[in-house]
Amino acid sequence: MIAVEGVVKRFGAHTVLDGVSLTVAPGEVVTILGSSGSGKSTLIRCINGLETLDGGRITVDGLDVADPRQLAQARRLSATVFQLFNLYPHMTVLRNITLAPELVLKRPKAEVDGQARALLASVGLAGKADSYPGQLSGGQRQRVGICRALAMNPRYLLLDEVTSALDPEMTAEVLAILGKLATRQPGGAGTAMLFVTHEVEFARRISTRIVFLDQGRLIVDLPTDQFFAADGGLAHPRIRQFLSKMAPAAPLAEIPA
Amino acid sequence: MRHAGFTWHDGALLAQGLGVSLGLFAGTFLIGLVLGSAAAVLRHFRVPTLGTLLHTGLELLRNSPVLVQLFLVFFGVPALLHQPLTPVFAAGLTLSANTAAFVYFIAVAGLDAVGRDQVEAARAFGLSRVQLVRHILGPQALAFAVAPLVGLAVNQLQVTSLVSVIGVVDLTKAGDILNLRTLRPFAVWTLVGVLYFAAAKTLTLLGNRWERRLRAHAAPLGL
Repeated sequence: MIAVEGVVKRFGAHTVLDGVSLTVAPGEVVTILGSSGSGKSTLIRCINGLETLDGGRITVDGLDVADPRQLAQARRLSATVFQLFNLYPHMTVLRNITLAPELVLKRPKAEVDGQARALLASVGLAGKADSYPGQLSGGQRQRVGICRALAMNPRYLLLDEVTSALDPEMTAEVLAILGKLATRQPGGAGTAMLFVTHEVEFARRISTRIVFLDQGRLIVDLPTDQFFAADGGLAHPRIRQFLSKMAPAAPLAEIPA
Repeated sequence: MRHAGFTWHDGALLAQGLGVSLGLFAGTFLIGLVLGSAAAVLRHFRVPTLGTLLHTGLELLRNSPVLVQLFLVFFGVPALLHQPLTPVFAAGLTLSANTAAFVYFIAVAGLDAVGRDQVEAARAFGLSRVQLVRHILGPQALAFAVAPLVGLAVNQLQVTSLVSVIGVVDLTKAGDILNLRTLRPFAVWTLVGVLYFAAAKTLTLLGNRWERRLRAHAAPLGL
């Protein structure tokens, strides 16, 4: 379980996270919604140890990420997919995927290679194993980013606005893969996903829970159907305002006039 | 022996001098490469006191003449420590440190050129610092740094001629000896110059080949 307890993060005088608490249990798909600057990405970066905390505590299966030794262990349990892909440009697609499983998890090369090729095939990139990231489209790069994370066999998959840098067509192709991934979880033992996104409709379809952040504070943490219920999440003016602007197509109909 | 003509022995003297020059260059450049890169990595990871200390020291070395450094080491240090240094040792020490200073600044720039995003990805995936340097930072920084390093190598090869001043019998000193004996400065210094040119040109060609090979690998970096 990922447990975030009263986390505070400041950049200079600006408080980005202001006492945020939440949990992600194995098999859950939790979506973090919120406008830009609400602290969603920072929260992900605190969980994978790319930012240090100014207060509170984060544990991944009991491992405290503030402790360097425990962080190294925690990083073997989770894997991150980044907004701007963050692939290694000097390595082939295959090597991008196999690097950490081989070096960090010390798994045999042949086994990792096989898994990487299978993952690539599953996202429609079987022919791209020997290409370099620079030769791929954005959508293809993000699919490689997803394969790279999955090759770690993570218990927790952290997805940081993974479609924000993509055009609608590429967004669709990446979301289709993530949707398959989320529904494949048998609701218990599978990979848990913590998903920062602006894709409200998609979040609604795949999430078990939705968390809403506003100016660094967690406003609600509700099961998905309650989040979109008129007497649930939508009872909050801030959330109603956000949803009406983010996804005018779908949830508007349910917002009481 | 006044106005004596050239003999076969002179060829041997020059060859030996060339050998000393090349050996001194190769040894000190290699040491400088290792030390300068190591210092750059320390700086990259912001190792507190050591990083700043190295930066200051190497900055001093880069911004003062090699000849002055050579005199300081060969004449100054023995006077301070009451312990004489051999010319070859003083030359090796000075040139290694001087090369390290230039390598350091090239390597720092190369490391800084590697995208921060990849470093974060590698860290989030649990790579150790050593693995990060070896697999992510090193290869890409090298691709950025190879051209300036080849230029530096050609320059440092020629800088070795300064060690003749403290009595190391390198190519320049061999030319000096030959000149004093034959009194044919034009012929002698032309010959010495041609030998330096041949060595530097060979080094450039080798460097360019290495650079092309590295760049072929780094093509996706958009260099």
